[in-house]
Amino acid sequence: MWRKLAVSLVIVPVLGLAACSSSGGRAPEPESNSAAGTVATTDRIKIAVITHAPPGDTFWDIIRKGAEEAAAKDNVELQYLGDPDGGRQSQLIEQAIDQGVDGIAVTLAKPDAMAGALKRASDAGISIVSLNAGEDRFKELGAFAHFGSDEKLAGEAAGEKLKAEGIKKPICVIQDQGHVGLEARCAGVKKVVPGTEVLYVQGTDMTQVESTTTAKLQADKQADAIIGLGAPITMTLLKAKATANSEVAVASFDMNSQLVGEITKGNVLFTVDQQPWLQGYMAVDSLWQNKRGGFTIGGGKATLTGPAIIDKAVAENITSFAEEGVR
Amino acid sequence: MSSITASPSHKKKSATTDERVGKKSTLSILLGRPEIGALVGAVALFIFFAIVAPVFLSPASLATVLYGASTIGIMAVGVSLLMIGGEFDLSTGVAVISSALSASLVSWYFGLNVWVGIVVALLVSMLIGFINGIILIKTKLPSFIVTLASFLMLTGLNLGLTRAIGGSVSSPSIANMEGFQSAKAVFASSVNIGGIEVKVTVFIWLAMVLIASWILLRTKVGNWIFAIGGDEKAARAVGVPVVRTKIGLFMAVGFCGWVLGMHNLFAFDSVQSGEGIGNEFLYIIAAVIGGCLLTGGYGSAIGGAIGAFIFGMANKGIVYAEWNPDWFKFFLGLMLLLATVVNIVVKKRAESSK
Amino acid sequence: MKTRKNKKTEELLEKLEPKTSDNLLTFKGVGKHYGSIIALRDVDMVVDPGKVTCVLGDNGAGKSTLIKIIAGLHQHDEGEFMLHGSAIKLKSPRVALDAGIAAVYQDLAVVPLMPIWRNFFLGSELTTGVGPFKKLDVQKMKDITKQELSDMGIDLRDVEQPIGQLSGGERQCVAIARAVYFGAKVLILDEPTAALGVKQSGVVLRYILQARDRGLGVIFITHNPHHAYPVGDSFLLLKRGRSIGYYSKSEITVGELTAQMAGGAELAELAHELEQLGGHDEELSEAEAGATPQTTA
Repeated sequence: MWRKLAVSLVIVPVLGLAACSSSGGRAPEPESNSAAGTVATTDRIKIAVITHAPPGDTFWDIIRKGAEEAAAKDNVELQYLGDPDGGRQSQLIEQAIDQGVDGIAVTLAKPDAMAGALKRASDAGISIVSLNAGEDRFKELGAFAHFGSDEKLAGEAAGEKLKAEGIKKPICVIQDQGHVGLEARCAGVKKVVPGTEVLYVQGTDMTQVESTTTAKLQADKQADAIIGLGAPITMTLLKAKATANSEVAVASFDMNSQLVGEITKGNVLFTVDQQPWLQGYMAVDSLWQNKRGGFTIGGGKATLTGPAIIDKAVAENITSFAEEGVR
Repeated sequence: MSSITASPSHKKKSATTDERVGKKSTLSILLGRPEIGALVGAVALFIFFAIVAPVFLSPASLATVLYGASTIGIMAVGVSLLMIGGEFDLSTGVAVISSALSASLVSWYFGLNVWVGIVVALLVSMLIGFINGIILIKTKLPSFIVTLASFLMLTGLNLGLTRAIGGSVSSPSIANMEGFQSAKAVFASSVNIGGIEVKVTVFIWLAMVLIASWILLRTKVGNWIFAIGGDEKAARAVGVPVVRTKIGLFMAVGFCGWVLGMHNLFAFDSVQSGEGIGNEFLYIIAAVIGGCLLTGGYGSAIGGAIGAFIFGMANKGIVYAEWNPDWFKFFLGLMLLLATVVNIVVKKRAESSK
Repeated sequence: MKTRKNKKTEELLEKLEPKTSDNLLTFKGVGKHYGSIIALRDVDMVVDPGKVTCVLGDNGAGKSTLIKIIAGLHQHDEGEFMLHGSAIKLKSPRVALDAGIAAVYQDLAVVPLMPIWRNFFLGSELTTGVGPFKKLDVQKMKDITKQELSDMGIDLRDVEQPIGQLSGGERQCVAIARAVYFGAKVLILDEPTAALGVKQSGVVLRYILQARDRGLGVIFITHNPHHAYPVGDSFLLLKRGRSIGYYSKSEITVGELTAQMAGGAELAELAHELEQLGGHDEELSEAEAGATPQTTA
């Protein structure tokens, strides 16, 4: 009798689990396209990409994907590292130098903190490029190219688009108070649309983002648009808009597949894309080119990967790429 | 004191009333309760914002304030109980996200009905609480240190496992999976009250506060919690099961984390693996504002709820008042300080008047 | 019995059915060491219902180790500790409590911030109702607390006040009343008068007699022979972990007791020194009185 009980105690949950399966979820692994081209025949080189990415930010996933694709194509051994703290990011550069990498791609959110380590790198003959942040300092720090989008320019582009749509009082929602890049975006918007107001929310707590934005929309009946500075944030702004029964237009920066879907549906006016995949890809590829034949792309000036305005018209074309995680 | 005789008839004499003592008025009984200071602070803050920002008084605004309070309040219930029991838990912020991620990733990876993920998440949350408790008991380290370690470990696990299983730093969308809609109705819907949409978390929060208060004040376990927090050695000496109660408290905190984690998951679908960090202090602040002593042995679940409400009011009120956002954090800190000071002043007056 | 019990202690209690010829509590050659430090060595003692056994000794004599063994906080390493003639080792305070041994400690094992009635019933709370709806029977507990305390002769303003607000003597009373109420057979009092003034000490001594008259076996630990002598029936003197004497009341006087504790020779020396330094007459006569046994109260 106990044996039967024990057996049923095991079998019932297993059957239950089987009965509880669902559609959706992880798709089965697609067939790998081994016939899709060949890898470069150059010697295998080591490249380190060192960013200031805070842990858990979807935006950086896209940069990483671009870097990884370039590395796969160019026969590159890629090290992808990061730390939001300037001092520690600089230490990662030192470690890369010690490991004898052939090239370093670095984000210059805190250029002064990187200066010492980058000098050591260039003295050691390591090629340097920068990406995403630092378009005005990259040359003096020893990088031969920069791939990114100027945050202020991006903000201004957004501002122009908003102006064209007749928006006069947008609310720019910053999810990390004091973050230079985010502040620059809102500053850019404000330059074009002087009625812009800033709202600070706590990006590490989505419920707080929602409730604070709802409160703002309830308090400020004059606002006619609300701008999120990251795709997941914008998704939450849509919820807040619904809760507050508001009519504001919604705009965004950066992208993920859900956001693209919302743009196609018309719930989000547009997003400003800095094409992060390109930043990661170009950073790695330009270093490979430099090793291959001493080439330096960009002519000493920053190579812009954006801003690109993605509105309804464009969104339909890139939906599948967004789902793939490259846009 | 009356003199003592050893005669057996003395035993049956009923308690004599001391004519020195007047019957304690209801007011002075009320003033002695641990929540009273917080309540006064809350009322003061409410009136302040009502004056400074008239939109604060509209029902829709109140619903928003309550929502903001409830997401702190749900955790503050467990954290208050734990603090009364004399311990801290710094892993609460990220444990909420661990729970949400467990449900999401398990359902997604195995293609299961989302409710299975929810059950798994409950087990994970309770397990985290259990492990925190066991490590505390075995190592005899301060709970501050033990839970700081688990905070770091969970942060790493959240990031690492999400990337390893889901391929990205945020969990994949599960909105089109079976069971999502029903789970959303339970954990992340709104209830229409007189035309205003009130989020379901508010009701869950209030229910949890009532249950926790009942446990604290009207059950054996509640008595043990006060005793362990007030004087652990004394409690052990009279036979209170200290180990079991402490582990139980950590698991209760884990349960609260599960509730909030499920709300997060079904409200926002995709969970950022880096979320949650920083909230653990807000929960502790809410408990302390509500009258829970940092050293343990004194406090209430209702106090924690009032503390969460004060936090919600301060947080949203500043937005309603349309103050300069650069000064937001400063105002928030100042508001919290004032609420706590009012709390202490009222408590002192209540005690001196006894 | 008003305490909770689990299966293990049920078995323990079955073992302890009293045999009429055995004493309530017996120590035979009991010893305890902590690492290389010998805290107790070869101690004999007997406790019977309705009798007060005093354990005397200066600091470091081993009194607190003795209590901890009886109260279940530590286990002895040598000798036999018997309850009703059966050898036993108490694994925890809970087990000791269930066996009928209640200790009232110097720091009183009360939680200062909690109300008196909650402290009274701590660990043995009364409930009504069933299953998950079991709740504390608050009114009953408050009434019983008030009743028991008044039976001991203390009447309080209200049992809802935090116990920390009571005076030292009142707190002792609550702790003793608690032990008596929960059916303790053996009551251990650890230096109850140590921190109290003269009048409060007198009150506590009277409570000890009350407990004794209710049939408990009382173990009264103290370093003050003038407190011990009036209430004690037998006296165990400890010095540096060993017994230096075990007397019944008829065998010794208070002066002899004091002398034994201090060591007669040492007091004589003290008297001599004081005389040399031109000490005051009272101190001199006290020291002389202690050095030479006399019948003093």
